[in-house]
Amino acid sequence: MRKRMIALFMMAFLVVGTLAGCTGGGSGDEGKKDDKANVENEAGDANEGDVGAGKLTVWCWDPTFNINAMNAAAEIYKKDHPQFELEVTEISSGDIIQKLATSTSAGNTADVLPDVILFDDSLVAQEVVSYPDVFMDLTDSGIDFSQFSEGKVACSVVDGKNYGVPFDSGAAIAAYRTDILEDAGFTIDDFTDVTWSEWIKKAKVVKEKTGKALINGQSSYNQVTVMLKSCGGSFFDEDGNLDIAGNEKIKRICELYLEMLEAGVYQEEVGWDTYIGNINNGNVAGAMNGCWIMSSIQAADNQSGLWAITNVPSVDGVDDATNYSSQGGSTWTITTECENPKLAIDFFNSTFAGSEELYDNILPSGAIATWIPAGGSEAYSQEVEFYGNQPVYSMIVEYTSKIPICMTNAYEASARQAVCTAISNVAFSGADLDEELVAAEETVSFEMER
Amino acid sequence: MNKTKFWIGRGIKNVILVIFSLFCVFPLIWVLIAATNTSVDIVSGVLVPGKNIVANFQTLSEHYDVFGASWNTIKYSAVCTVAAIVVCSIAGYGFEIYHDKVKDKLFGLLMLTMMIPFVATMLPLYQSYAKLGLLNSTLGFILPQVSTVFLIMLFRQNSRTFPKDIIEAARIDGETELGIFFKMFMPTMKATYAAGATIMFMNAWNNYMWARLIMSDNSAQTLPMMISNMTTGHYIDYGMLMLAVLISTLPTLIVFFALQKSFVQGMTGAVKG
Amino acid sequence: MKLTMRKRENLVGWAFLTPAVVLIVIMNFVPIAQAMLMAFQSGRTGNMTFTGISNFTRIVRDSRCMDALKVTLEYVVVTVPLILALALILAVLLNDPKLKLKGVYRTCIFVPAAVSMVASAVIFRSLFAADGFVNSILVNVGILQTGYNFLGHPSSARIILMMVRVWKMLGYQMIFYLAALQGIDSTIYEAAKIDGATGLQQFFKITIPMLKPTMVFTVVMSVNAAIQVYDESVNLTNGGPGNATMPIAHYIYRLAFNGVPNFGYACALSMVVLVVVGAMAIIQMKVGDRRE
Repeated sequence: MRKRMIALFMMAFLVVGTLAGCTGGGSGDEGKKDDKANVENEAGDANEGDVGAGKLTVWCWDPTFNINAMNAAAEIYKKDHPQFELEVTEISSGDIIQKLATSTSAGNTADVLPDVILFDDSLVAQEVVSYPDVFMDLTDSGIDFSQFSEGKVACSVVDGKNYGVPFDSGAAIAAYRTDILEDAGFTIDDFTDVTWSEWIKKAKVVKEKTGKALINGQSSYNQVTVMLKSCGGSFFDEDGNLDIAGNEKIKRICELYLEMLEAGVYQEEVGWDTYIGNINNGNVAGAMNGCWIMSSIQAADNQSGLWAITNVPSVDGVDDATNYSSQGGSTWTITTECENPKLAIDFFNSTFAGSEELYDNILPSGAIATWIPAGGSEAYSQEVEFYGNQPVYSMIVEYTSKIPICMTNAYEASARQAVCTAISNVAFSGADLDEELVAAEETVSFEMER
Repeated sequence: MNKTKFWIGRGIKNVILVIFSLFCVFPLIWVLIAATNTSVDIVSGVLVPGKNIVANFQTLSEHYDVFGASWNTIKYSAVCTVAAIVVCSIAGYGFEIYHDKVKDKLFGLLMLTMMIPFVATMLPLYQSYAKLGLLNSTLGFILPQVSTVFLIMLFRQNSRTFPKDIIEAARIDGETELGIFFKMFMPTMKATYAAGATIMFMNAWNNYMWARLIMSDNSAQTLPMMISNMTTGHYIDYGMLMLAVLISTLPTLIVFFALQKSFVQGMTGAVKG
Repeated sequence: MKLTMRKRENLVGWAFLTPAVVLIVIMNFVPIAQAMLMAFQSGRTGNMTFTGISNFTRIVRDSRCMDALKVTLEYVVVTVPLILALALILAVLLNDPKLKLKGVYRTCIFVPAAVSMVASAVIFRSLFAADGFVNSILVNVGILQTGYNFLGHPSSARIILMMVRVWKMLGYQMIFYLAALQGIDSTIYEAAKIDGATGLQQFFKITIPMLKPTMVFTVVMSVNAAIQVYDESVNLTNGGPGNATMPIAHYIYRLAFNGVPNFGYACALSMVVLVVVGAMAIIQMKVGDRRE
């Protein structure tokens, strides 16, 4: 009998415990807020002593690229500030977006978000507009934005305020395997300063002679951006209204894209992993993307000397066509949960917004600076063996200066997605392009109304 | 004549089984081979085992905390499995042995939870978790999975095969109700427990969406999360990736191998109806 | 005395099932109630206001939602019968007591259920890549001239997603049938044999009727699961190409967690899914309550 009583008691305890856990939530939350206030005070006190002491937590996603750059920056900063600590969490871009959504909805950003978050350039505006209280306004923070390239800074400006410290360049490059081009009777010059129509003609020859597509991409998502930005196009007009259906530039780009897809000179991939994999193993003869793609290309170190880079084709048949564009690239943001903003800003001022040494150090990983002073350093003029001794870094710096400036919009990613879907429907289900673009515009405007 | 017919029948049976076995097992054999090759060989479709497994492991342990992630996954899954089979078997036993109309109706009501899409409850759950401080914790990981209708049902149905007169006899001997459950029901129902544990362990081990939602600390990463991270970098080392896939799959396979006989037996009671 | 005894037993019974029931209520019913509330709200995350049924009227105008429902329906209609039929056939073959290597076959067929979806996605993406293993075989055998981008075309991508589902679920469902078959008294078959029934007759006259409860149970379970499926497409194709492989649960997931999130609308859509699946409730309740 006693045992039975104990058992019942234990059950009851378990139940009560679970229930208590739920109702106790409210008070626990208040306690947390107080804690945070205390921490802030302490942090404030610490600031008066040494600005460089303390810890920064960072979210970014690539061990060989941006995580590597962050750690390199910490190395430099630690030289003068030995008490500085950095903690990087590897978390994919998609997961970052998800965590922002969940933590803001639950109101626990203080527990979840780090001090610094890296975003793809195309997502900064979306996130800042979606969560206006999460990101720190850096306009008057003391970071000198005039030292970054203008187009790059524009990616993280929302309503005239700066929300990000630019990191790597997204200047578009076309990189080709010269050995494969040679098999088809071409050199890199045949693909320099060309139009898309010429490019497709030549790419067909490559396909015919070598059986390989010239480039590939993860659906049309990035490729469309490269093409659109090269002629200063956008999915939105100057007032931020949707401009997809009836947009000459978008239509022309879709036509060109569909043409190369049909000719088999562009290979669509489903996953990021197969995209990179096919570039590395020579299943496609080249790659076209933001210049950060170099870090992926260079990973196949047995292909040293076989690669060369050049500018991207221009969209023929539209106004403002150029051979320069951008895609991707990324920007550091500081969250309002950062308990030591002075430290964060000092850190960035001494590194990503103020250290040639840092940019020289991370150059071999393929991270090209958008911080203008870095482009003048000696490291940037070196010839790179992997690319047949081309001075690739200075070439990219030059490309960067010629990129048309494009507007950003919070619904940029949604619009891109919708246009990709339109392209896919035309290519694979035989739909009509004009109708699909109208449908795409409807989809995005449906998403924008709420 | 009959004999040849028999052998032909047997032959066809085996051929069908071999085909399906290959269909099911081939992708894993491919992973096994891939894990021993270099990244370049894998993407170019090499199908013979290579010598790169040690190098792949070195790359893996250099770039990722594979031991930490393995330990986390083992910890979450083990705790989850033990807690789930205890809670659910007691409940299943309770629903059956002490059944009355109210409890039967209640069980029917619980069955509704099978129809709730997890995507719908993810966000509200997250919000409650944030308030309760359950993020990044083992408890947080296991709570939504500990009590599942499927498992309760498994034990409820199986309890039917448990002879009632044993219970009566034990009661006359003065055994407590909980004593009967632990001393008599549990040992007789080993197969059911094996089945329940296998299912639970696999579900917990492979649970990626929920882990991804509530875990944000480096130190709380699980193996599926680690694999997912590996596929988004600027460079993808397929050798390392496939080895990680292999490592993440082995434990569930071992659990199934070890428990498979009882697993089938344990399910028998569940589907008898 | 006897009454108190029963009362006490009743109480113990309740104590036994309370932890499980409380957990289910907290982890399922409470959040779904919260989601229901959210379905009537919209606005920026963390700052949502009640807007009546606007989220529900929105659904009617949402063409992507309709596409996603179509994908889901196709998924259910194709995979559920296919998996069940194959699982049943394999279970019957494996139930032969004279069969050798039973354990090996059983394990092989069950193996995929043990592989996580993240890992499966990696495996199948590489196997079916334009230059992947499957294509190099097809090209070498001469069926194809050049590699076909299976996951890049809507219909083949959908077929592969379904195939992955069959691959993953086959062994799992087979175990249910195997277990049920082992529960059938072998003397029934012996009697039938004496009466001169052929193997096929035995299968349709004895096996199928005896397995009926199991079949109802597994059909309900797998229809449910197939309607709610999302991690296959999230991990393997991310819904692409276009939105060709995005089932409704994936669309909800995307609305809630990607781009500019719209929780209210996502919740409203989940309610619709709940109602759709709820149509299964009646059957399910009957299966759960049946007692003979």
